[in-house]
Amino acid sequence: MTEKPVYHVILYKSVSRALLSEKILKNAGIPFKLIPVPKNISSDCGVCIRFLPEDRERIEKALSDRVEIDAIRPLL
Amino acid sequence: MPEIIDARGLSCPQPVILAKKGIEKHGEIIVLVDDTTALENVRRMGGSSGCKVDVEDPGDGTYKIHLKGRPGEKPEKSAEPTACNCGSSSVSGPTAIVLACDKMGRGNDELGAVLIKSFLHTLVDSASHPDTIILYNTGVKLALAGSDTAPDLKKLEESGARILVCGTCANYFEIKDKISAGTISNMYDIAGTMMTAGKVIMP
Repeated sequence: MTEKPVYHVILYKSVSRALLSEKILKNAGIPFKLIPVPKNISSDCGVCIRFLPEDRERIEKALSDRVEIDAIRPLL
Repeated sequence: MPEIIDARGLSCPQPVILAKKGIEKHGEIIVLVDDTTALENVRRMGGSSGCKVDVEDPGDGTYKIHLKGRPGEKPEKSAEPTACNCGSSSVSGPTAIVLACDKMGRGNDELGAVLIKSFLHTLVDSASHPDTIILYNTGVKLALAGSDTAPDLKKLEESGARILVCGTCANYFEIKDKISAGTISNMYDIAGTMMTAGKVIMP
């Protein structure tokens, strides 16, 4: 049994920004998953990008100046 | 004074769960509910747990249910704690989810693709899993190796859901050898599953 990884999520002010990030990260070949925003973070029916903390740096680099991020939070 | 449990505005099976917990903790409670389904469910739970049940209807849409455990009588542990008649969920039989398209909803395809991903991700995490998931028409593409949705379908399959992938459809799109979740199935199984399901969900 491997330990469950501690994921982080990137939150956005709009769905289109999440989708733009999806395209950029896919092209960059960085692993992630587009998931609904967890209920404990927001009751909004939004989507966010889930990723592993070790990829944080390259994700931020790939998205910088291209997509406006609202927040990055650990997924509890 | 008995403990008052305010279950107004809560939907089934919440009032029953609260009432059950209350009885176990305090022995005597008053449950406030504001709909007749909740009233009947709490009343039934009280009866099956060996409580004395009195209902007061002040006529303002709120019902006061007075439940008093009889001394010496243990609440029946075997009684289903959340058994209730919650309208549609009283249907019995397996649940089938039909994904007739690789999008969720009609109108905007980009949005529909996001929604179906979110839907399957949520299903994996959800407490209740469907018995069967049927994929047909462009829905079969959700099981394509390398797609964003195939891993979630695989997880659902591993947790016991049967996933039927329409063979005709996979053949039509020439992706039969690239299907990575579920089993290639046929219209007999698909129609049969739908006909015998208690509930068919088409998101």
